Amino acid sequence: MNHAWRPLILIVGLAAVLLTVRMFLVPSDFMAKNGDYKYQWHRVGNEKFWRDEFTVKHKGREFCKQCHEDKIELVADSGHARVQCENCHVMFNPEKKGHPVDLKADFGYLLDIGIDRSRELCKRCHSKLPYRPKEFTSLTKGIKPFNMIDPQEHNPGEECVDCHDVHRTGFK
Amino acid sequence: MDLTRRKLLKMGMLSVCGTMIPLGALEIFKPEALASSLVHPYSQKKRWAFVVDTTKCVGCGMCVKTCKLENEIPFDAEVQRTWIERYVLTKKGDVLIDSPHGDRYGFTKNDPEGHDLKDEDTLKGFFVPKLCNHCEKPSCVQVCPVGATYKTDDGVVLVDRKWCIGCGYCITNCPYFARFFHPVFNTAEKCTFCYHRISKGLKSACVDACAFGVRKIGMLNDPDSEVFKIITTQRTAVLKPEFGNEPHVFYLGLDHIVR
Ligand code: HEC
Ligand code: HEC
Ligand code: HEC
Ligand code: HEC
Repeated sequence: MNHAWRPLILIVGLAAVLLTVRMFLVPSDFMAKNGDYKYQWHRVGNEKFWRDEFTVKHKGREFCKQCHEDKIELVADSGHARVQCENCHVMFNPEKKGHPVDLKADFGYLLDIGIDRSRELCKRCHSKLPYRPKEFTSLTKGIKPFNMIDPQEHNPGEECVDCHDVHRTGFK
Repeated sequence: MDLTRRKLLKMGMLSVCGTMIPLGALEIFKPEALASSLVHPYSQKKRWAFVVDTTKCVGCGMCVKTCKLENEIPFDAEVQRTWIERYVLTKKGDVLIDSPHGDRYGFTKNDPEGHDLKDEDTLKGFFVPKLCNHCEKPSCVQVCPVGATYKTDDGVVLVDRKWCIGCGYCITNCPYFARFFHPVFNTAEKCTFCYHRISKGLKSACVDACAFGVRKIGMLNDPDSEVFKIITTQRTAVLKPEFGNEPHVFYLGLDHIVR
């Protein structure tokens, strides 16, 4: 055989092997959607992962309402009407976790419910900073002054919940 | 006509220079040509967009906490899909900018960048929530060598965790620093506008968590959405428009010191 043909056959053979391997490795739904190679060149099936397979974890008041209707009504009537139950009750610090009913097994609710009675929770919204907005848009009463406290002066050393009823934003 | 060699050269050079200036360059004298053509109200295309009203933000960080738990970003890792920056202008003229732990524990003290400021030392200050801008021309997507990050038909930029090789080009190419490595999967990670929620009719987790009405999500071209109403009736701004990414997070009350 001609010395020029041998490398050519090798190259063609390699290309054929590469193309077959590629056919198995690249999924069939990998493509440029709408012909857009710049921004939409991807595995189309992955859209389904983000759309449907990724689980919703924060389920909102409607979910808690199944069992805590009294609390929902209480909160809806108070200064905390716009604050979600989950803002205050979903815990990231393990020592405060604990819900009497196992929501994980029975309801597919994946977050950890608990009670945080520390001042840190309330200070996130209520400590007085000079550049914090002085007004607050309530759902029912429109724009009203937002009342903040200086944690250094407002009854230091005591937990806020010793005096305040959080769900009514009143006093105990 | 007495044409000298000097005159010929002069006129020749002038006409060469003249032909070199493209007509388009003269556009810089027309403000309407420079104005962004980002928003096309009433166009039929479905497109998610976000509005952040910085004038209402108190920096409580509930959105950051909620986002981390909703999207399975380990809580103690120093990376987040959304975060809040605090900008404080002091009487001395310093601009202090900080975002301790991305603000997942909230701002509770007047201690920007660790300075213990007195209330009367500050001239102005505000909080700026940040997240992925879901650009119309995402520069992070362009540089992905393997097609692991992409824009969906409704404008959301996503990452394919199976396909990502973790090269980090997209992370360095985002002008908004919105991307990071996921500490568990070691792939590029970013805000998805909570695609799993918005496509089921829910709102993004951070939007639901905000008690102050700072964050809003909706279809840009849906006349019933709050996002549409704000963008078509109020003066909004975007971050770093000079990059030409056409970001789709619109800010109300954005200050010029914000970067
Ligand atoms: C299946 C019904 C059910 C659902 C759904 C439910 N709870 Fe409960 N929860 C209970 C019961 C029962 C108790 C114990 C009695 C009580 O304190 O009311 C309880 C107690 C609690 C407590 C007090 C825990 C303690 O240590 O004393 C908190 C806080 C709480 N729930 C928050 C929530 C929140 C927030 C949600 C919504 C995400 C929720 N729950 C959803 C049934 C439920
Ligand atoms: C502003 C933060 C905050 C919000 C919002 C909030 N809670 Fe609470 N919740 C607390 C705190 C703090 C306690 C502990 C109160 C105490 O020890 O006096 C508590 C206690 C509870 C308890 C058990 C003790 C009791 O009083 O019976 C339940 C059940 C509960 N919350 C449910 C809810 C539900 C349901 C919602 C949503 C409508 C909600 N909470 C909203 C902060 C909050
Ligand atoms: C997510 C933010 C947030 C958190 C966390 C929060 N609050 Fe509030 N709180 C508000 C808002 C918003 C209002 C309504 C504005 C107003 O009425 O001034 C309010 C109102 C109140 C009021 C009524 C003030 C008034 O002038 O009537 C009290 C009291 C109060 N909160 C106590 C607490 C306590 C105690 C905690 C901690 C368990 C807490 N809050 C946690 C946002 C929050
Ligand atoms: C010793 C009981 C006590 C404790 C502890 C306490 N408060 Fe109060 N708080 C009061 C009383 C009494 C008032 C109403 C009188 C006033 O304005 O000082 C009040 C008022 C408020 C108001 C409304 C302020 C206004 O201008 O109308 C807020 C908000 C508030 N408290 C939040 C908190 C927070 C947050 C904590 C925890 C960091 C806390 N409180 C701890 C007793 C307490």
